[in-house]
Amino acid sequence: MSKGVLVNLTKCIGCGGCTVACKMYNNNKWIDKRAPASGENAQLADENWTIIKKFKLYKNGNTQVWRFVKNQCLHCQSPSCVSACFAKALQKKDNGAVVYFPDNCVGCRYCMLACPFKIPKFEWNKAMPVITKCVMCYGRMKENKAPACVSVCPESVMKFGDRDELLEEAKVIIKNNSMYVKHIYGEEEAGGTSWIYISDVPFEKIGFNTNVVKKPLPIYTSLYMKCTPIFGAIWVIVLTAFYFITKRRNVIKNESCELSYKKSVDECADNKLSQEANTVKSDDVFVNAGQKKRRK
Amino acid sequence: MISESSSNSNDKNSNLSEPTKIDGGANDDSDTFNGGADSSELSRRIFLKLAGVGIAAGVAGGCDSTFGGLKPSGGEGWLPAQYNVSGDFPVQVRGRIPIDPQNPSITRDNQKCILCGQCVEVCSKVEAVMHNYELPIIDDIPCICCGQCTLWCPTGAITEVDDSDLLMQAIENPDLHVVVQTAPSTRVALGEEFGLSVGTNVEAYQVSALKQLGFDKIFDTNFSADLTIMEEGTELVKRVKGEKKAPLPQLTSCCPGWVKYCEYFYPDLVPNLSSAKSPMTMMGAMIKTYYAKKSNIDPKKIFSVAIMPCTAKKFEAIRPEMNHSGIKNNDPSIRDIDLVLTTRELAKLIKRKGLDFLNLPPAKYDSLLSEYSGAGVIFGATGGVMEAAVRTAYHLLAGDPPKFLFNLEPVRGLAGVKEAKLNIPNVGGIKIAVVSGMHNTHKVLERVRENKSDWHFIEFMACPGGCISGGGQPRSAVPPSDSVRTARINALYSADEKATIRLSYENHEIKAIYKDYLGEPNGELAHELLHTHYGDRSKNLTAKNKKGSNKEK
Repeated sequence: MSKGVLVNLTKCIGCGGCTVACKMYNNNKWIDKRAPASGENAQLADENWTIIKKFKLYKNGNTQVWRFVKNQCLHCQSPSCVSACFAKALQKKDNGAVVYFPDNCVGCRYCMLACPFKIPKFEWNKAMPVITKCVMCYGRMKENKAPACVSVCPESVMKFGDRDELLEEAKVIIKNNSMYVKHIYGEEEAGGTSWIYISDVPFEKIGFNTNVVKKPLPIYTSLYMKCTPIFGAIWVIVLTAFYFITKRRNVIKNESCELSYKKSVDECADNKLSQEANTVKSDDVFVNAGQKKRRK
Repeated sequence: MISESSSNSNDKNSNLSEPTKIDGGANDDSDTFNGGADSSELSRRIFLKLAGVGIAAGVAGGCDSTFGGLKPSGGEGWLPAQYNVSGDFPVQVRGRIPIDPQNPSITRDNQKCILCGQCVEVCSKVEAVMHNYELPIIDDIPCICCGQCTLWCPTGAITEVDDSDLLMQAIENPDLHVVVQTAPSTRVALGEEFGLSVGTNVEAYQVSALKQLGFDKIFDTNFSADLTIMEEGTELVKRVKGEKKAPLPQLTSCCPGWVKYCEYFYPDLVPNLSSAKSPMTMMGAMIKTYYAKKSNIDPKKIFSVAIMPCTAKKFEAIRPEMNHSGIKNNDPSIRDIDLVLTTRELAKLIKRKGLDFLNLPPAKYDSLLSEYSGAGVIFGATGGVMEAAVRTAYHLLAGDPPKFLFNLEPVRGLAGVKEAKLNIPNVGGIKIAVVSGMHNTHKVLERVRENKSDWHFIEFMACPGGCISGGGQPRSAVPPSDSVRTARINALYSADEKATIRLSYENHEIKAIYKDYLGEPNGELAHELLHTHYGDRSKNLTAKNKKGSNKEK
């Protein structure tokens, strides 16, 4: 059963408690000078798995409003980072979380390129860097606990539950209240995400990438990428065939040489002798050259 | 030699790259190993085979973690126990309050926050701010700057905005004449920071410490508390008599936290607020007009500091309308108060300067703006403003106040809402109420809103117990206990009892300032310098109670 989180952005008051919870539970450092975890300059970083970003915008013409947006991994239903990762360092779990296993990671950073939401971050300032990203508090989810950020929210901005039920709930909320934008972000984006958002201001104005394709991204590559094993198997067969062909050709060549040996021993012997003489000569030259060098 | 070493490395490579071969040759391996042991000599072949086995075992071990115990990233930290519940059980005490980075009063160190949820408890349940407005928010993070959260925060993550460096810069600036005033409540709490028992009155040591810190003049806000009583009491009498066209009940306006709360949640009752400014800003205005004139100092060169038990005073000082002395001096950029420091900041500063607080020579306030009556000193306790105002109002309406007004028990104590009725000759019954802790305002103000009340005068204090337990006072128990509040309150009341003058209008310096400068209470100049008007912040938030009362209508 795939779990998810419904984020009602109208309720967020910007306390940033979720960012604290994330850092506390995941033991991440505060790097406010490099990348603040909340405020207008908030940005996701290797130590910031979730942020609260403040937006000042105008609603209904002239009234200025403040909105706070929580960013973290959206945990796609069909994550492109997982499909891009050949080391199985990123795995989509049954409960919906896209989990990262640093022990498997080879550091290729394909996931960073694959993600349409620019979520995975690289530890650029570490000697042995790995990728970092929100893993939806996989350890807590396994114990049937809500992710840390969800459980600490004082205004219940986020609700943790079954994704399908949350989607129905979100549809009811935006249908019954004219305040909301008639769109659930994450319902279809990138083939659907585990974290879904509802808002009273247009999503493109509060930093959401609204140009994401609706199809699951791995579809675009899976058509030919799924042929990889077959291609590999065929390639092995072809190369093995070449090997045997080449080997056989050499055997036939040597056999023909041995057959002709009896016929013209002298001829063959002459050839061999001359060859050996050549190799000895070249060795002498090599050794002499080495001795000369040493003397110098 | 060179060719030999190269062949060696080739052998190694071939072994390393084909660890699978090792398993196949396991039998040979044991044979050769025994042979090797007999000859007690490790051949190259055996060595390489052993190395291969070791590497294969290592790879197999790694594979084990791949398929069995692979560890996902994250989850190495901790969360407070209340969050570690499974399922959908709601967490009762959770999260933290929002604090705008621009907030002039309070700030928070994120690294110290442990999400205990205590700030949310005090903000929503004691001060009735958080959770008392509708979401979404508009363009403000509602905060009345009271600073109670700084007292409830167990890790000290939430603190006042520390302005002590600005103060030291001002003191070290030879061009500036730095004047300081101290609130009634700081003297009964500052001693706690230096190991004295709760409720010790350290007025004389506080003045001495301020002198050592380098202030040029030290005045007492108690004096301007008396001034406030003169203005506010006169205003009350005028409202009661119908001479001033303003609605009753009159609501006090000395608590900046309450004033901001009123502007947020009860904008329709702002006209009820007394137009008299708070003692701090009155003193600020007097310093840069009356004192500047008397001592012939350019008001631009006066740097006016206030030591307050309150974080909201930092906000009040930067309110745009608090520049009456500037307007009077034809330079609106002159502020009544330039800087506010809390009691805690003063204590920190004294410690930073290495002053031996307990062994300082006792000192006295500078004259001109420092004499105070017992009525002024009890401003720091809940009900104190009311008691002080009633003494003067009685005098204005019916002559000398009777004895019970010097110990007005019904308005003393820590109860959130207190009521009393006084019979004043020639006027009749005057009903008063005292409220402390903003969650108690609803009980009183909803009745006022519906015109069901018959109160004439209501005192409001944002902090439970009044200024003595203000957001800038020394941290005591977490959350602050009533025993600490009571001890501090008792210290103020005993100072009142000991005072030779207990009525604001008998204060000699008050008499002098009206005679020499202000004219009469609520007079023209008094209005210019000591009165103000307040605004409407209801467009910055959608109050929950407002909606409720609309529905009732």
